[in-house]
Amino acid sequence: MNSKLFAFVFLIGLGAQGAQNGFAGVDFNRDVVPILSDKCFHCHGPDNETREADLRLDKQQDVFGERDGRRIVVPGDSEQSALVRRIRSQDIDERMPPAHSTRQLSSTEIDVLTSWVDEGAKWTKHWAFEPPQRRDLPAVQDAAWTQNAIDHFVLRRLEQEELKPSQRADRETLIRRVTLDLTGLPPTPEEIDAFLKDDSPGSYERLVDRFLASPRYGEHMARPWLDAARYADTDGYQNDRIRYMWPWRDWVIMAMNEGMPFDQFTIEQLAGDMLPDATLFQQIATGFGRNHRINSEGGSIPEEWAVEYVVDRVDTLGTVWLGLTLGCARCHDHKYDPMTQRDYYQLFAFFNNVPEWGLGPNNGNSPPFIELPKSWPHLSAVENRLIVPARYELNTKQVSVVRPNSGGPETVMVMHELKEPRSTYLLRRGQYSQPDKSEVLRPSVPTSLGDRHDTELKNRLDLAKWLVHPTNPLTARVTVNRYWQMFFGAGIVRTSENFGIQGEAPSHPDLLDRLAVEFVQLDWDVKSVHRLMVTSATYQQSSSTNSKLVARDPDNRLLARGPRVRLSAHEIRDQALAISGLLSDKIGGLSVKPYMPPGIWRAISNNKYAQDKGESLYRRSLYTYWRRTIPPPTMMTFNAAEREVCIVRKGHTNSPLQALTLMNNVTFVETSRLMAERILCEGGDTLDAQVNFGFRLGIGRFPTSRELDLLRDAYHEFFWKYENDRAAAAKLLTVGEFPREKRHDTIQLAAMTMLASTIMNLDEAVTKE
Amino acid sequence: MNNLNAINRRHFFGRGATGLGTAALASLLNPDLFAAREQSRNAIGGLESMPHFAAKAKRVIWMFQSGGPSQLDLFDYKPQLQERFGQEVPTSVYPADRKTTMTAGQTSFPTAPSRLKFKRHGQCGTYVSEVLPNIAKIADDICVVKSMYTEAINHDPAITFYQTGSQIPGRPSIGAWMTYGLGSENANLPGFVAMTSRGSAKAGQPLYDRLWGSGFLPAKYQGVKFRGQGDPVLDINNPPGVDSETRRKMLNALGKLNELQHTEAGDPEIRTRIAQYELAFRMQTSVPELLDLSDEPEHITSMYGKDAKQPGKYAYNCLIARRLAERGVRFIQLFHMGWDQHGNLPTQIRAQGRDTDQASAALVKDLKQRGMLEDTLIVWGGEFGRTVYSQGGLTNKSYGRDHHPNCMSYWLAGAGIKPGLSYGETDDYSVNAVVDRVHVHDLQATILHQMGIDHERLTYKYQGRHFRLTDVHGKVVRDILA
Repeated sequence: MNSKLFAFVFLIGLGAQGAQNGFAGVDFNRDVVPILSDKCFHCHGPDNETREADLRLDKQQDVFGERDGRRIVVPGDSEQSALVRRIRSQDIDERMPPAHSTRQLSSTEIDVLTSWVDEGAKWTKHWAFEPPQRRDLPAVQDAAWTQNAIDHFVLRRLEQEELKPSQRADRETLIRRVTLDLTGLPPTPEEIDAFLKDDSPGSYERLVDRFLASPRYGEHMARPWLDAARYADTDGYQNDRIRYMWPWRDWVIMAMNEGMPFDQFTIEQLAGDMLPDATLFQQIATGFGRNHRINSEGGSIPEEWAVEYVVDRVDTLGTVWLGLTLGCARCHDHKYDPMTQRDYYQLFAFFNNVPEWGLGPNNGNSPPFIELPKSWPHLSAVENRLIVPARYELNTKQVSVVRPNSGGPETVMVMHELKEPRSTYLLRRGQYSQPDKSEVLRPSVPTSLGDRHDTELKNRLDLAKWLVHPTNPLTARVTVNRYWQMFFGAGIVRTSENFGIQGEAPSHPDLLDRLAVEFVQLDWDVKSVHRLMVTSATYQQSSSTNSKLVARDPDNRLLARGPRVRLSAHEIRDQALAISGLLSDKIGGLSVKPYMPPGIWRAISNNKYAQDKGESLYRRSLYTYWRRTIPPPTMMTFNAAEREVCIVRKGHTNSPLQALTLMNNVTFVETSRLMAERILCEGGDTLDAQVNFGFRLGIGRFPTSRELDLLRDAYHEFFWKYENDRAAAAKLLTVGEFPREKRHDTIQLAAMTMLASTIMNLDEAVTKE
Repeated sequence: MNNLNAINRRHFFGRGATGLGTAALASLLNPDLFAAREQSRNAIGGLESMPHFAAKAKRVIWMFQSGGPSQLDLFDYKPQLQERFGQEVPTSVYPADRKTTMTAGQTSFPTAPSRLKFKRHGQCGTYVSEVLPNIAKIADDICVVKSMYTEAINHDPAITFYQTGSQIPGRPSIGAWMTYGLGSENANLPGFVAMTSRGSAKAGQPLYDRLWGSGFLPAKYQGVKFRGQGDPVLDINNPPGVDSETRRKMLNALGKLNELQHTEAGDPEIRTRIAQYELAFRMQTSVPELLDLSDEPEHITSMYGKDAKQPGKYAYNCLIARRLAERGVRFIQLFHMGWDQHGNLPTQIRAQGRDTDQASAALVKDLKQRGMLEDTLIVWGGEFGRTVYSQGGLTNKSYGRDHHPNCMSYWLAGAGIKPGLSYGETDDYSVNAVVDRVHVHDLQATILHQMGIDHERLTYKYQGRHFRLTDVHGKVVRDILA
C-alpha cells in the first residue's frame, strides 16, 4: 500500500473532513481551520463577549505567541506546544475544550491538530478574504482530454489522486443534460435527431450557443435568482397580503436573456435608483431590495418591523454577494468570521434610508412604489424615464392601526433614498428598542474584507460598486461558485452560502480563483462563464459510476464523473408540460394560478385560491403564484425554496410524497394523457414503435431491448385491465381540464396514459444524467 | 470492505434516504449492515447519538390552541379583580411600551375581571373555568402551568416562536427537530403529522406551512399534513380509473426499469427512489386504514364528541391523533383556530370551549385507559395570553382582550409530568408571570427532555452555526417532572 493510499484509508476510517472531500493529506485551510473554528472559536475567537483567557485562536500572533511562559504553538514540535498539551491532557481541569462544553474534539481531530503542528504549523489568512489570483494552468499528463482551462485543474487533481476521468457522455445524454441545464426544458426528439446527425466539429458548442440565445435560458436562469432574492406574490406574514412584484421578476428574465453583465446586474438591483438619470428599468431593478417580507399584521409595532426589513437586506446581501453569514453579527460580534457587531450596523446604515413604513398595507404594494406605463415591458425611450416613487402617506382614520397607502397591480415596489439619511445606531442584542445612542454609525464595509479603494463609501451606490470592484475578494468567487453549483450539482465551495471560516473549503481552490478572475476579465459576462463550464470536458463526462468510485468519492467532489442530479421542482413540472405539448411559451406578466388541491388556502387562511383556466394552467412554473405562507405543495415536495428568506442552496431529498405526486397529481396525470395522445398520433403504427417514441419523448433516448420488453408487457397489462373495465378507462381520461382528443380509442388511450405515466415516473425521467 | 460499507451506509442514512424509507432500504441491501444499529434502537433514521438519555415519552401530541386563549378566563383565577372592575390598570403593573398598536392608542385601560365562573376541581383542587368542564374533570391527570410567558405580541411571530424557537421564519419546527433526532417508529407512516381545524365560528388567525416545516433541516423532516378535505395526504389516492391492482402492476414495471437503470448508472440514489415508491404504495394502504374509523366503538367516538367522525373537525383530529400515536407516529401536531377574542370574549370563548373541551379531555382519558398516557406527552396551549384590560368597551356583560405576552396558561399531561399540579403564579392582575416563570424555550427544552433529548446537544450546522431549537436559551422545568 503506497503512502498516499494509506493516508487516504486512514482518514476515511476516521472520518476527517479531508476524507469527506475525497482528498488525502492534512491542509491548514481545509482540515485545521474547521476544527479550530468549530470547536475553539466560541471561547477563543472573534467575539469579545464570550472570549476566555483573552486568547484568540483566529489570530496568528496569539497562536504563535506566549502565554504564562509557554508557547501556544511551536511549529514542528507538538510536545512543546501548549495547545496540543491541553487538547491531549487527561487532567479534567486542564483539558480543552472543557468537560462542560458541548463541542468536544474527536480523536481524529486531535490527531489532525497534532500533525499540523508537527508538520510545521503552516498558517495563512482565510483564503476567501484574499483577492483571487489568476492561477496558471497546471501541467497534466493527459492534455488531450482537456477542452478548456477548467479541465486542467480538474484533471491535475484526478491525476494526483491516481484517478481517471470518465469517458464523454453519449450524445443523447449530453444534449438532454445541457438542454435542461441551460433552458430548464428537455430537448425535443427533432433537436436530438439534428444533434445526432451533426457530427461536424463544433456541433456541441453551436448547440450551447443556440441555447444561450434562447428566451427559455433567461427564464431558467431567473429561477435561482428569484430564490436568492426571496421573490414572491405575497407579503409573507400572518394574512399574507397580496403584492405585485412581477415586473421585477420580468426585469430579471429580460436581463438574463440580454446577457446583462453581472456588475451592471448588481449595481442596478442594489442602487439603480441612484444612478444618474436612472431609467424606469433601472428603478424597477431595485425591487430586489424590496422583495423581503413585510408584516401587515394589525397591532404590530412599525419600528420593530422596519428594522427587520433592513436586516433582511443586509443578510441577503451577505449571502448573495459575499457568501457570508453577516446575520450572525446582528446581536453580537461574529463567532467565527472577523466581523464585529459594529461592522454589521455600518452595513445596515446603507439600507436604512428607505422612506418606508414598518407595517404593510392591507393588500397591495408598500411605499415606495412607482407606476408602470401601460406599454410595459415594451417601453419607449420617453416612457423609460426617471419616475419619483410614491412616498408613504399614513392612513390614520383608523384610530388603532396606522397603515400606509398601497399600490395596485399597475405598480411595483422600488428602493428610494430619504433626502436626510436616518441615523443608524448599533442595536444592542439586535433589538429595535435598544439603540446605542452614544454614536451615530456611518455606512461602511468591514475592514477585514480588504481595501475600500481609499474612498469613503457613502451610500448604496458606492456599496454596489465596491462589491463588483475587481479587488473585492468575494463577489466573483461566490457568483461563479453558484453557477458551478447549478451545472455540477454542488459548488466548488459546497457551502455556497458561506465562504467564511465555518464554510467548507473549496475542492479545487485554484480553479475557483481562475474562474473568478476570468469572470471579471470577461467584463462579468455571465453567458461566457456558463459557456465555459458546459463546454468543459469535465462537464461532458458520463455520470455513470460504480461501487468502487462511489466508495472512494461518494459526493463526486473530485469530478471523476459527470453530474447526476435530480431535477428541480420547476424543471420536473415544466418538463412534463413540455413533453405533453401543453407548455405555454408566453413570457412574463401577472403570476398565474394552476391546479391546486381543494381548500389548500381556505383550510388554514382567510383566502380562497381561485384557480385559473386555459393557458394559465400550463405556464412555466416560475410564473406560478407564490404565496409564502402556503407555497404550492407540489413544488415544496420537490424541495423548492420557500421564498421566505434568501436561499442559494437547497438539498434534494427523495421521499414517498414525491412518488405520490408524480403518480397521482392532476398535473402529472393530465400530462401523461396528453403525452399518450402524442404517442398515438406521432409514434407510428406498431406498439413497439409507439413505445420507442414515447420513451424517447420522455427520457431522450431509445429504450434497450430489455426495457422495451418490460414496457410492452406493462402496456399489455394496462390494456387488458381497461378492456375489462371500460368505465375505469373513461374515468382516467377525465383528469385535467384540457379536452380529450376523441378520435383515440378509450381503452388504448387509457393504457397508453398509464404507460406514459410509468415512463415519467422513472428515476431517469426526473434526473439529469 | 468495511470502509466501503461504512460509506454506503452513510450515504443512505446521511443524505439519500428519508427517515421513512430506510426500513425498506435495509431489506434491499445486506441486512447485516444495518442490523446492529437498527435492532438496538427500534427506530428508522434518526441520529446515532440519540436518545441522549432514557426517554419518558415515546411521542408528543401538541394540541395547539391558535389565537391566544385567555388565561384570565380559563385557568388563572383572579377573584380579587372583581372589586377593581373598570378601574385603570396601573402603569406600574402594565407599562405602555409593549402593547400592540391595536390598543396602545386607547385612552383608557380598564380592568376587566373574568365573567366566567371558576371552581376547584379534582383532588388537587386546580382552578378551571366553566368554559372547560371536561378538562376540569381530568384536573388530577394534568399539570397546569400558569406562569408561561413569551416575547412576541403578534400572532405570526408568536406562533412561529412556539413552533420553531424563533420569531423570524426560517428555522425548523419542533416536530422536524424531533424527527431529525429520533427518526420514525413506523415504516409506513410519516414520523411527524400536522392537522388543522376551525371552530364553529369559522373565523380564525391563519396558519402557515412553516409551522410544521423543516426550515433549514432537510425537507424529509417536515411534518406531513393530514387534511380534512380532498385527499387526506396530498395525492395519496390513485387517480380515477386506476385501482390498486393497476398501480401495483405499474410499480412492478417501474421497479424493474429503475433496477436496470441502477445497473447502468450505479447511483445508490436510484435504489432509494425504488424504496420510496414502495413506501408510497404502502402508505396508500396504511393511511386509509388509519383514517377508517369503522373499528371505533360508539362509546369511544361519543367520548370525543359529535364531530368525532367529521374530517376537518377538532374532535376528529383528536381521535386521529390517538390512532397515529398507536401506530408509532412520533410527533402529532394539532392546531385549532379561533382563540383570538379581541371583543365579545365571554360569548366567543364559550363557543371555543364547546368546540374543543370535550375532545381534548377525551384524548387524555382515551390514552389513559389504553395505558398509553404514561409514554405520551400531551401539551395544550396557544401563542400568548391576553390583557387584563379591556380592548374596546367594557360592560357588565362583555369585554375584549388584546394580545399579551407576559403570561399565559398551558397544561401538560402524561409521560413523566406531575399530574394534578398547578405550577407557577402571576401577579394580582395576571399581567406578569412572577413565580416559577416558564419561558417558551423552557417549555421546548422540557418537551425534548421528556423525549430523551438534551436540547443543548440536538444541533444542526447551518450557515456555519450550530443551531438549536432553543437558540442559546432554555432550561428544563424539572419542578413539573415526576
